[in-house]
Amino acid sequence: MDDHRQTSLGPDPDLRKEAAELGADPEMIELRAEAAASAREGRLPADQDRRDQELQADAAAAAEQKRQRRYLVKALLRSPTFMIGLIILLFWVFMAIFSTSLTQSYTAQDAMSSLKPPSAAHWFGTDDLGRDVFARMMAGARTVLVIAPLATALALLWGSIIGLVAGFWRGLTDDIIMRGIDVLLALPIIITSILILSLFGKGTAIIILTIGILFTPVVSRTVRAAVIGEREREYVLAARLRGERSSFVMAREILPNIMQPIIVEGTVRLGYAVFTAATLAFLGFGLAPPSPDWGLTIATQRVFLQIAPWTVLFPALALASLVVAINLITDGLGRTFSK
Amino acid sequence: MLRLIGRRLLLMIPTLILVSILIFALAEVFVPGSVGRSILGPYVTEEQVQLLNERLGADRPIVVRYLSWAGGFVTGDWGDSALLKVPVRPLVMEAFWHSLLLAGFALVLIVPASIALGVFAGLRRDSVLDRTITVSSLSMTVIPEFVSGVVLLYVFAVWLKWLPVTALPPDGSPFYTRLYYLILPAIPLMFLELGYIARMARVGTVQVLSMPYIRTAVLKGLPRSRVVFGHVLRNAMVPTVTVIGSQVGWLLGGLVVVEKLFNYPGIGRLMVEAALAHDIPLLEASVLLVAVVYMIANLIADIVVALLNPRIRMGG
Amino acid sequence: MSTVEDPQLSGDAAALDVRDLEVSFHRRGRRLPVLKGITLKIERGQAYGLVGESGCGKTTLAMAAMRYLASNGTLDNGRVLVDGQDVSELSEEALRKWRGGKVSMVYQDPTQALSPAMRIGDQLAEVYHYHEGMDKKASLEKAREALRRVAIPDPDATLRRYPFELSGGQQQRVVIAMALAVNPQLLILDEPTTGLDATVEAEILDLIEELRGRINAAILLITHNLGLVVRLCERVGVLYAGRLVEEGPAKQVFTDPRHPYTMGLLRCVPRFGMNKTDAALQTIPGTLPALGEPLEGCVYSARCPMARPVCMRREPDFFAWPGDGPDKGRQEAEKLPPDPAAFSPHHAEPVGEAERHVRCYFCAETPHMPHMTPVLATSLEERGAHEADVLGIDHVVRTFKDGRKQLTAVADVSLNLRKGETFGLVGESGSGKTTLAKCVTGLIPPDSGTITFEGGVLKSTAGKRSREALRAIQMVFQNPDSTLNPAWSTRAILTRAVKKLGGAKAGSVRAKVDKLSADVRVEPRFLFQKPTELSGGQKQRIAIARAFAGDPTLVVCDEPASALDVSVQASILNLLVELQTNEQTSYVFISHDLAVVRYISDRIGVMYLAELIEVGAAADVFSPPHHPYTEALFSSIPRLDFEEQKDRIPLRGTMPSLSNPPSGCRFHTRCHRFLGDICVNEVPPDQDVGDGHTYRCHIPPDELRRLQTAKDQGPAAEAEPATAG
Repeated sequence: MDDHRQTSLGPDPDLRKEAAELGADPEMIELRAEAAASAREGRLPADQDRRDQELQADAAAAAEQKRQRRYLVKALLRSPTFMIGLIILLFWVFMAIFSTSLTQSYTAQDAMSSLKPPSAAHWFGTDDLGRDVFARMMAGARTVLVIAPLATALALLWGSIIGLVAGFWRGLTDDIIMRGIDVLLALPIIITSILILSLFGKGTAIIILTIGILFTPVVSRTVRAAVIGEREREYVLAARLRGERSSFVMAREILPNIMQPIIVEGTVRLGYAVFTAATLAFLGFGLAPPSPDWGLTIATQRVFLQIAPWTVLFPALALASLVVAINLITDGLGRTFSK
Repeated sequence: MLRLIGRRLLLMIPTLILVSILIFALAEVFVPGSVGRSILGPYVTEEQVQLLNERLGADRPIVVRYLSWAGGFVTGDWGDSALLKVPVRPLVMEAFWHSLLLAGFALVLIVPASIALGVFAGLRRDSVLDRTITVSSLSMTVIPEFVSGVVLLYVFAVWLKWLPVTALPPDGSPFYTRLYYLILPAIPLMFLELGYIARMARVGTVQVLSMPYIRTAVLKGLPRSRVVFGHVLRNAMVPTVTVIGSQVGWLLGGLVVVEKLFNYPGIGRLMVEAALAHDIPLLEASVLLVAVVYMIANLIADIVVALLNPRIRMGG
Repeated sequence: MSTVEDPQLSGDAAALDVRDLEVSFHRRGRRLPVLKGITLKIERGQAYGLVGESGCGKTTLAMAAMRYLASNGTLDNGRVLVDGQDVSELSEEALRKWRGGKVSMVYQDPTQALSPAMRIGDQLAEVYHYHEGMDKKASLEKAREALRRVAIPDPDATLRRYPFELSGGQQQRVVIAMALAVNPQLLILDEPTTGLDATVEAEILDLIEELRGRINAAILLITHNLGLVVRLCERVGVLYAGRLVEEGPAKQVFTDPRHPYTMGLLRCVPRFGMNKTDAALQTIPGTLPALGEPLEGCVYSARCPMARPVCMRREPDFFAWPGDGPDKGRQEAEKLPPDPAAFSPHHAEPVGEAERHVRCYFCAETPHMPHMTPVLATSLEERGAHEADVLGIDHVVRTFKDGRKQLTAVADVSLNLRKGETFGLVGESGSGKTTLAKCVTGLIPPDSGTITFEGGVLKSTAGKRSREALRAIQMVFQNPDSTLNPAWSTRAILTRAVKKLGGAKAGSVRAKVDKLSADVRVEPRFLFQKPTELSGGQKQRIAIARAFAGDPTLVVCDEPASALDVSVQASILNLLVELQTNEQTSYVFISHDLAVVRYISDRIGVMYLAELIEVGAAADVFSPPHHPYTEALFSSIPRLDFEEQKDRIPLRGTMPSLSNPPSGCRFHTRCHRFLGDICVNEVPPDQDVGDGHTYRCHIPPDELRRLQTAKDQGPAAEAEPATAG
């Protein structure tokens, strides 16, 4: 009879099952062994002992939960990609907040020393207006780090709601939503953003809204797929047989079980939000000078690439390090979750 | 098979209509102020704006304007550019062929290379090589094209002087010279696709390798090469091809940036210029064309998937 | 085929000779033993059955024999010799030739075992191409021959087909054809029929039996189904926790089991014909050990009802039986200093020459192994069945759309259920039993027809039903892994159910949850855990407790024990019986396992192609006169008894499509008692046998009884297929 369960696990049942079980952390196997051992005792404790037992069990369960969470954190801390990414990201977050008080002024112009190569006074040289490239590079993290997380949060919120509704209700609602998503996805994001921004004007809020809206379809697709994977599972059917409302089933039954794909999707989108925000700035649809934004700086300084490459290369490296860092975090999270 | 293509084509029509409505609505309805005002700017009188609106037909009801615009697009009359005062179509089409050359060049180079890398990584799953390929290709993908483009320009054109700084050769150059000039702009586009396609090829390979039918193939004593080429590849390509189809969208977005960075007269640069200049007929036509191209790319991907998967092919 | 073999070696070497095999998997520097010193031998042409429950390592053994261990698996010790050749000494190229040439394999799930995008012909032909160097044309010709050998109808067309165009049974035939392509010395069958429907399973078994006469390959059959071993194998080995605990001739082992685990396994499967009112199922206490879990002393001691201190002290050797080995071993063990983990490779080798070996000190006592005494079901009358019907299903129809096709999943089904009664619903996959069950619970609204409950008409979907109706009708699902929300603690799951269904006041919710968990024998400490930390059996117990939260009148059980290991299955069935006895609950019980349904049901309904074709008391439905389909189904069960092996009634063709069911009698395309045009053109009437037993067939009861009892008498039946065919 065992094999019915195995078939439901998918391909290569026995082997995969065995490998999966072995793939589990040794701690988990120990725990399972403990559980099995106690199950083998097989008898219910006498009533007088029961309260004590329950109290102990309470403590044990709490400890067990902590242990699991610790295990996840430990696994993440052990993942080199995740840690490198996290350190770089935290560095830029720190710089976005504190760089103004740590570096030279990023707006101070000095016409006498424009396009000077790196020196002790200006570590990364100066730009065409004689501004300190290092200071501008450090301060440049600010705009993307405001725009990208907010836009991602918006997209996650809307995308999760739409995905839950479409995936759970299916039918006509789903058809309409999916057609709308198809339409939005038929236009490349950069091009749609250009369209929107050129018509509605620029400004941080509009950029955030635009990126948020344009990322929503992708997020809702991911969420919808995850919801469809869950909605026919038997625990959802059991909830329906209890007479639970749809909203309860979506929010309390399904949502907690699809948090991992949503988190991973969130980090992926965060990376692309940085990407998109920087690209828009580069194309001239972001903030106006003298903002130290990296994309904008690269766009305005690239004419000096041949005579003063530092003005372009340093912000380029900064931007690259940020997106790669977010990508490393995503990679680490994804691998840890899928284990 | 033909029925499948026919059905996909039919399905495209409503999407296309909705997309065109969306573009039209965005461009014409939600623009603050009238069309004439957005073209002429704030420094002309209201009468002049009225006059232009009338001349453009912008004072007609919205549905009529949409129908005449959409009808015009289908029949080949794409209107006149508001800014350049010349018909839009030749302008857009010329830019489009430039972009197609660049994007096609990038795709032809990157698709086989990234599939090979991905499959290779998948076959050597969890090895150092696998991790290296995955992490580096993915990192290249997430770096914006103007960042990689700038760095490449500096290294290969400014510093090493191996490749030209510009993307367009002098007029009258033979085809291979044009391709030579396109190498540098194509690389950022290739980076853009590399991680995606390689990752999909890898995931597809890893998944297929874990399938019981691969075990069957190995245990019936087939040589490894036969297992990989006969049984793994074909099935692993299904998700990859789907992704290549949808990646064309990113590629088109990437064109915008690369063309601006390299001053290449493609449709991306045209759109940015049109957007910045509020040249709405030009903008509408280019965006709609891009949407059509994107949908056709996805259609082709669907067809290839159906060719790879007999179940889809025969199911219709 | 005469490539590298050494004639001296292969002269009279065994087909498979496994010596002291130890395999373990590795994870983060930790070694988890999966196979612990396995020694077994399969002589040429012999069929050997390896039985055991999930996680005991039986597939790992097969993979070790194919030298195809998972990447984190290592062969730590021992040798595997196939036809005298040490598998680990083969070079890459020799290994390739050897796989598929000397040893080949048939897999559990045929739908996954064939390459989906390659034509059947090409998949078969490549075996001949790479093993015998044939060109494309010759190898395709051989492929056609191979298909003919496994009796595939229309081999030419099949060659050009893709796997998805074939039914599961046909796919398995193709896999078998592929395995036998190059005359292997050893054929490994890894759960070859699991997951197939009963009639298809029987077909495949017939094929294997028939082929055995024609090939000279030895067979290693890996299965959890003891009935298969009885049918196919001369010898059997019982595997538990990576250890061979008993081995010997199949008949001896099954009729006179000497290891307590073998005994437990045999006792916990319901024999066909058993009913809950005559005998309770025996259970094995506890749960299966996790893979690689460290076990002290005898691997089975923790669950063994006969275990004594010495069993924990030192693991028994593999003693010859009958003999004095076990006693000597025990005395020796008692003299030694206690060493619970004692195990060294020498224990792996059987001690003493004999046909049978048993890894138990007390195997002499096994026949007297104490019985557990679960509650026996009370009779129907005591359960209040004399009262009015609880549930009435009246002309219920449900169709689904599949693209442009209309699939009728339930076609005009009517039945009724009395209080305290268990109505068993049997049928093969796609017969519509689960859809019908979901119509009853309101998970799927019927297209037409009514469902009445305690006299009132039920609303079509659960969402529209009153709280009272929801409370009264609950469901237990099949898959223990998805039946509980993994994000919730067990206690939260039960609390929510009690709150929504029990209507209990805040203060009494906790008490009710405690009572429920006590009723289903789940220790309170497990209530604080997430479902992922529970065993399959525990999860299913919680799911049952959840269904009983509002003291339901009717519980629909959809294959509630099918996904569980047999030793756990019995305890779940016992629990359901016990709850029914105490609460007078009615059950609709769905299962594909006829013995289980026969055991637990008071009445049984048989479904075929969306229709209910037979209804009657459990004992009546499975004895003549009964519907020809039921007759065929009944004959297809592999039995545990060696004497009572019945001839199987083969069904023609394959299951017709639900979108285009046959006219007249739906079974006429496959029926062995086909009468002629009347079956094709006219919908058969429901024949009444009496006592509420009806079946839908044109043959009247007396005639059918005559036909069916005549067949049982043996030689007279020989003429039967001819007239039927």
